[in-house]
Formats: sequence, C-alpha cells, structure tokens
Amino acid sequence: MNKVTTSILIVFLLIIGWIFYLTNIKQDSSLTVRYYSISELASELNDIQKVKVGGYIKPNSIEVSENDQLEVSFFVYQNDDSVKVYYYGIRPDLFKDDAEVVVSGSYNNNLISATELQTKCASRYEGDLKNIEKI
Amino acid sequence: MISQIGSVAISLAGGLIFSSFFFLGLYKYFNNKSYLLVAERAVLSTCYSLFLAFFCLLNELLVSNFNLQYVAQYTSYETPTFFKVTALWAGQAGSLLFWSFITALFTVAYIFTTLKKMKNLKFHSYLILAFIFSFFILLTNFIANPFEPVSSDIIVQNGNGLNPLLQNFFMAIHPPILYVGFTGSAIIFVMALAASISKDISFEWVQSIRRWSLFVWTFLSAGIILGGYWAYNELGWGGYWAWDPVENSSLMPWLTLTAFIHSSMIQEKRGMLKKWNFLLATSTYILVILGTFITRSGIISSVHSFTAENLGPMFFTFLALLVLYTIFWFIKRKSYLDTDDKIDSFTSREGGFLYNNLILILMCFTIMWGTLFPILSEAWDGNKIYVGASYFNQLNIPIGLVLLFLMGIGPLLSWNYTSKSVLLSRFKTPMISSFFTGLIYIIFSGLFQLYVFVAIMGVAFTLTSILGEFYKSYRKQKRSSNFFKSLLEMFLSNRHKNGGYIVHIGIVLLFIGFIGRAFEVEKEFSLSPGEQIYFSNYIFKLNSINSEARDNHYAFLSDIDVIDNNNELLTNLKPEKRIYFYWNSDPEKRQPHSELDIYSTIQKDIYSIFSAYDAKKNIGYFKIMINPLVNWVWIGGILMVIGSLFAFWPSRRVI
Repeated sequence: MNKVTTSILIVFLLIIGWIFYLTNIKQDSSLTVRYYSISELASELNDIQKVKVGGYIKPNSIEVSENDQLEVSFFVYQNDDSVKVYYYGIRPDLFKDDAEVVVSGSYNNNLISATELQTKCASRYEGDLKNIEKI
Repeated sequence: MISQIGSVAISLAGGLIFSSFFFLGLYKYFNNKSYLLVAERAVLSTCYSLFLAFFCLLNELLVSNFNLQYVAQYTSYETPTFFKVTALWAGQAGSLLFWSFITALFTVAYIFTTLKKMKNLKFHSYLILAFIFSFFILLTNFIANPFEPVSSDIIVQNGNGLNPLLQNFFMAIHPPILYVGFTGSAIIFVMALAASISKDISFEWVQSIRRWSLFVWTFLSAGIILGGYWAYNELGWGGYWAWDPVENSSLMPWLTLTAFIHSSMIQEKRGMLKKWNFLLATSTYILVILGTFITRSGIISSVHSFTAENLGPMFFTFLALLVLYTIFWFIKRKSYLDTDDKIDSFTSREGGFLYNNLILILMCFTIMWGTLFPILSEAWDGNKIYVGASYFNQLNIPIGLVLLFLMGIGPLLSWNYTSKSVLLSRFKTPMISSFFTGLIYIIFSGLFQLYVFVAIMGVAFTLTSILGEFYKSYRKQKRSSNFFKSLLEMFLSNRHKNGGYIVHIGIVLLFIGFIGRAFEVEKEFSLSPGEQIYFSNYIFKLNSINSEARDNHYAFLSDIDVIDNNNELLTNLKPEKRIYFYWNSDPEKRQPHSELDIYSTIQKDIYSIFSAYDAKKNIGYFKIMINPLVNWVWIGGILMVIGSLFAFWPSRRVI
C-alpha cells in the first residue's frame, strides 16, 4: 500500500469513528437533555434529574418573593396541563403572563427547579394590531 | 396607489418568470437563439419588477401607510425614519421580498458580467435562476404578501412599531448583510451547475466563480460577526454565540463556502478536485435553504422566533427539489468531472488544502448533526432531545484547534511536494515561538487548562508562520529604502495571497477572543444606593438609582462606580432598566428592556446589567460579568472582512 492510500484509509476510519461517536450523544447526559411535554410531566410521578420543558406562563401565576426580587415561582401551561416552576436569578425582559418560555432544570415532587429560564426572543412583533378603530 | 403598483409588480414578476420557462422550452425545442434572448429578457424584467415592488414597499413604510398590514405591524408614526427603512426585513413577508430583491440584484449583475463572457452557460443559468425565482415569487404572492391590506372593517390609527430590541444600528444592518451572503450563494450554485451540465468548465470559469465566492464570503462573514456583536451589546446574556439553530444555520454554509474557496484554488492551479468542488459549491446554497427552512418552519424550537406560517412544507419541497436536481446532475456528469491528475504528496500545499477541507466539512457535519438531532431523534423513537451548547463546544473546540494549526502549516508547504529538509527549516521558527509561548503559559498561569494551552500555542505558531511569510515576500520585494513604501508594494504585489493571509490573521485574533471565554466570571447581586460589593478584584459601588421619563420609554438609571485594586476609580457604569410603552394601561403591553453598559478594553470587558428594581425597598438587582479578550473577536472579524475585500477587489490592471 502506498502512502496516499494509507492516509485515505486512516482518514476514512477517523470519519467512521466520528460518526459513530456522534450517534451516541444521546447517551451522554452532559450534552443532551430530553424535551418533555407538560402533559407528560403532569402524569410523571418519579423525579427526573434533567428536564427541558416549553410552554406558556399561566396568567396571574407569577409570584415574586417579597424578600428577594430574584426569587420567583410560576406555572407553565400547555393546553390543559400545567406544572409549577421555581427559579432564582435574573429573569429575561420578556418574562410575563402568557409569554412563551423554555425552562430547564430538575423535576422533583411536581416542581421544576429551574436553572435556566429563556423566553422566546421576540425579535419580531407578531400579533394583533393595537391602535385600531372598528367600523 | 403605490401599494397597488407594488402588488401588481409582484404578480407581474410571477407572470414573467413563468414565461421565461416557456421561452427556454421553445429555445430547446426549435434551437432558435432568439428564444433564448426572449427568456433572458423575461428573467431581467422579473428582476426589474422585483425592484419596483421593493421600492413600493419602501415608500409605503416611509409614508406610514397603515392600510397595509405589514406597515401597520412593524412601524408606527414614532418609528425613526432609519428604522422605517429597516422594517423592510423586520418581518416574514418583507424579508422574503427583500430576499428576492437581492437575488434580483445579483442576477442582473451575473447576466451583465459573467454571462456576457460565458455564453454557453446561459440556458442552464436561466433555467435554474427561474426555478429559484419562481419559488420566492410564489411565496411573496400567495403565502406572505407584504402588500396585503388590513381587514376592511378596521381603521388603523397607529402601527405597532418596531421592537425596541431591534432598534439598534447593528441589528438593523446585520440581516441585509447576511442576506447578501445567503442569496449570493445562489449565483455560485447556478454557476457550478450550469457549467457542469453544459460541460463547459474553463479556467476563466474557475476564476470567475472564485471571485463570486470571495464576494459572498465577505458578506456572510460580516453578517455572522455583526449578529454576534448585536447579541453581545444588546441582548444582555454576555455572549456572542450560543449555538442556537439560527446561528448554526448561518455557520454551516460559511464552512462549506470556506472549504470551497480553498479547494477551488487547487482546481485553478491544477485542474483537480472538480467533483469535490461541485459538491461544495452546490451544498453551500442548499445549506442556506436548509437553514432558512429550519428557522422559518418552526420545526426546531429556537429562541429566535419566526412564527410558522405555512412556509415549512413549501421550503421543504424547494429544498428537496434542489437536492434532487443537484444529485441527478452530479451522477450524470460524474465522468465529465473526473480528473486523472492525482495529489502526489500529502506534505504539499494541495495536501494542506485537503486537510483544511476535511476539517471544515467535519465541523459542518458535526454542527448539522447537533442542529438536526432533535428532529432525527423524534422521528427515530419519539423522544425529543435537546442538544445543548456543551455538545457543540465539546466537539468543535478540538476540531477548531486543529484548524488553527493548519492555518499556520498551510503557507509553509509548497505546491506538489515539500521535502523533509525544507519542511524542517520552515517549521523551525513557528515551532520555537509556539513552544516558548506554551512555556510562558505554563509558568505564569495559576490553573492549567489544556484547551487554553493548545490554543495559545496554536495562535503563536500560526501568527509566526504568517508573519514570516510576509517578511519573506517583503525582503524579496524590497526595492526602495522607504519602509512603508516597500511594505505597501509587497502587499499589493500579490493581493490574492496577501489578502488571504490577512483573513487568516483575523481568524487567529478570533481565536484569541475565544480563549477569553475560558476565563469568564459573573455574579448576580442586589444593592441599595450607597452600598458596595467586591467581586473579581473590583469594588462595585452603587451611587444612586434615578428615574426619568423619556420620549418613548421610562428609564431607571443606575450609577455604579468601579474601583480597582489600587483604590482608584476605573470607570463609571450606568446600566438602565427601561420600560417601553409604559403609558399603556394594559401592563401586558408594556415591555421592559435592560440597557447594558459595558466598559470595554483590549484586555477585558466589564459587562453590567441592571436586571430588576424593587421600588418599595429601593434595591437594584444587577449582574456583572468580566469577559476577557472579547474585543479581539471584533478586531479579528474586521480584519477578516478587510482581508477578503483586499483579495477580491478588482485591480486596475484587470479593467
């Protein structure tokens, strides 16, 4: 075998190995998190170490602690199901009733202790026109 | 009136582009040149109609014609004129028209320059361009029409206005620059396909497609960097890159295009790698469309929201057709694209380019895998998996480091073959410089971090290697005794090569910025006026919190002194908490916004966010981040753009 063929073979094997490694990322919990739907969590009795959930903030459910503005709890809902979330830290500017959020953290006793709270970036205003007059 | 003209113009564009298919068919059938000319004119008139439609929409935005849904949604009377213009690409419908507009600009340029010289490519170029146009024109006419009037039973008194987050200069110019890169890759796609299908790959063609690629690459790079700059300065999470699907989808075509720019050099020099280049050139545009599909279909949840209208299936069909068409012609033209010439040695410039290609493609594949993994996994077993930033960092950092070293190794290799002794003598200086930099790091760093260590050595190696190349050509070139004059002469003597090296230096500086990320620290805390806190060798003292009603928002202004170790005032930071639409009686409609304040130096940024204010207790909540070396990312980015402009700017001799 000449040098060129050997090199090509080595490169080829490396790529195969790489692809094999990539397909296994699901097992690596430091890299990936499973997305749960809220209805799934609502019926889940066991604790889960890492969850990621998307939904909307239930209107009037946001409770900011009297002592510390950074401490907040609220409900995230989707359709008819909802789950309580506890979060400590800076909240995104768009955090308010009915805002779409993605929360990740751990799930214990029907409560998500969130380590990460993101609102959908409203890079655009979509939605109804506000200053209108019906005729 | 103007809006009706615009509406007619996009319908007209639709009619014209379909007529071009018809005439192309007639040309093929009768083999009569005049039909091809008619088709050309149909394509050109389509472009002109799109220009007209674009300027109509611009006019309606400027005069605030709120009878149009789009105008009412993205602007208001209060919107500053500059942002009325940028509202052109603030929403779905407008951005699609804008996309067509830029494609039209490129098409006109392509027809009047490139196709004037390469007449054989005309037929297939028009065919593919017509296909691309008809897709976007279809969307603009039927799915997201910017000239759609508001429903007839309401009168709009004032529009909604543009999101304050978007009212930022860099955010305003980032999308169009990126779009220029995205749509420009369509021309590369068309050129690659047309030349292969008509079996007309000439030396002239290679040079021309390379020029187009460099042009597109410049805009793509600038767009990506500006996006990061905006995120860093406006969004307030302290970073510029988060491996979000939207970001990834702009990076993937950038990687394939970068690979193409390198490997097409081998085709230019030795006529090799035609197949590989065909794949790179076509996949760039395909990845652009894939990215657009990902971001606009809502198939992958991302923090960037583009509400899904029914664009998903449309984009998917378009994407599938592009891929099938490309694969079909690739298989059909496989033997034509074959070359006998082989790479003789892997220690040659060609070999270097090949490694570079491999690394870039590996990176692109890894990113694509991570981006698409949620969909693949859900299709596989129903489990939706979120792939976090840690995946992308963990896998791309090692690949990136190899790339960093390769940028230094490449210039040291000669074409065809480099002998061992030559190799050793050329590697000597960069190796020594790299070794000593590594040593200095080990001695002076408190905490050893492997990636930082390797990165620092890579930066030293590559910088020495490239500067060495400059020095060599300076000595060769040197004629006059004036240092600056001969330096300038050296740079101008081979702009292609020198421009490339400047880009590489820019990328090395980017890496310096990336290294800084390993040393970031942050802290969240609350303070009352008069209190202070010690963090990361600085004292942060809150002087006061005031409030002020401004034109379109209400602001809480903090005033923080930053005092360094020597007890001297380093700077004063004034992050603000703003409430836009504070006059709105409905609290839902009010929008808080944190206006950052950043103290920025070449060594580090002190990044401050005023995140919340408790008016009752008079307590402010803040977040401070110390981000080392961030400025190098922007400096590197600017250098990349300058270098690539330098490389492709047409020289006077050519004209």
